[in-house]
Amino acid sequence: MPLRNTDTTFGWLSRLIHWLMAVGLIAMLVFGTVLKTMEPSFANLWMYDAHKSFGLLLFMLVLLRIIWHRLSPPPAPLSGVPLWQERAARWAHRTLYALMILVPLSGWIGSAATGISVRFFGLRLPQVVPPSAALDTAGFAAHSLLTKLLMAVILLHVLGALHRGFVSRDSSLRRITRGV
Amino acid sequence: MRTLLALLTCLIALPALAAPRSYTLDAENSAVAFFYDFGEEEIRGNFTLEEADISIDFDAVQNSSVSVRLRVAGGHAGFPFATEAMLGPRVLDAANHPEMYFSSTSIRRTQAGASITGDLTIRNVTRPVTLDARLFRQQGAPVGGFDELVVELTGSVDRTDFGADGWREWAGDTVRLQIFATIDAE
Ligand code: HEM
Repeated sequence: MPLRNTDTTFGWLSRLIHWLMAVGLIAMLVFGTVLKTMEPSFANLWMYDAHKSFGLLLFMLVLLRIIWHRLSPPPAPLSGVPLWQERAARWAHRTLYALMILVPLSGWIGSAATGISVRFFGLRLPQVVPPSAALDTAGFAAHSLLTKLLMAVILLHVLGALHRGFVSRDSSLRRITRGV
Repeated sequence: MRTLLALLTCLIALPALAAPRSYTLDAENSAVAFFYDFGEEEIRGNFTLEEADISIDFDAVQNSSVSVRLRVAGGHAGFPFATEAMLGPRVLDAANHPEMYFSSTSIRRTQAGASITGDLTIRNVTRPVTLDARLFRQQGAPVGGFDELVVELTGSVDRTDFGADGWREWAGDTVRLQIFATIDAE
């Protein structure tokens, strides 16, 4: 199993990050939604720290992913599908990257602005922004809105990938799952 | 002769007592405790008293006065998460409003002690509050010794009146106060 990406294939590191983030993001979208509807109590305070920690972990993963793709560029999308599909896929990928950065960043900014220290699995992080009512409100408003957008784009992305795999039947889906 | 002397000292002492006496705070032996509901539990937090000017007229309580200042950042709300939340912009906003003040406007005698109405300033918002006061002499103090006293102030405030209305889904609106201040005559 090659580590690096080639002109036509994904190496294992790119595929590993892709699937870790896929599982992580979907789980976090569910987790965050549950968090919002939960009865506040002592017993579930820890869940906020857990949400922040895993969210920051995903933030690191997307940064690692971007750096890795500079070092080892991923293969170009396969052609042979209608132009609108190609465009939709490119647009979805760009939006996904933007959201994978902005979603955790907005959560982090909103959280830090409340004055409550943000911890990464127990490790207290330096304050990214000072306590501020405006950043608190704006950060969480953005976090709430962008996570909804992320849900929509992930849905499109999954539908598009399944379409490629089972309707167009090209190797798009296979090369990110099995690498060939 | 003895009784005469005692009577004399009493007479001399009376005018001294009749005028309001000033007291300063013994901050070391004073504490502001507060209580609030967090889900099903009642949590105890505290602040340290920074400064207090108290003047007590033992004969005409209405002529007494109390003013108190305390530093917001020195407060604790029971556990770290809550302390940070309380000092943050959604509640006390310590960065922009580092102090809280109380200053009495009227005091009247009650059965148990006194009822003190005054202006409480939190987050730069001033609202009237009424606190119940009781005075205690230090244990072991000589009879008639008013040099060191303990004042207990109790009452409650609605934090939303002061705009300290964040995290309402977590912490109750009503904050119950219990202040013990040890004061020394000047
Ligand atoms: C990719 C990572 C993340 C995802 C997918 C995610 C997802 C979500 C979702 C769906 C919600 C519910 C939003 C709503 O319905 O209003 C939420 C809430 C929240 N998120 Fe995240 N989040 C992520 C990262 C973070 C990070 C890094 C932090 C902080 C360091 C954070 C802090 C919070 C907090 C405090 C809430 C609760 C907001 C409230 O109760 O008002 N999140 N998150």
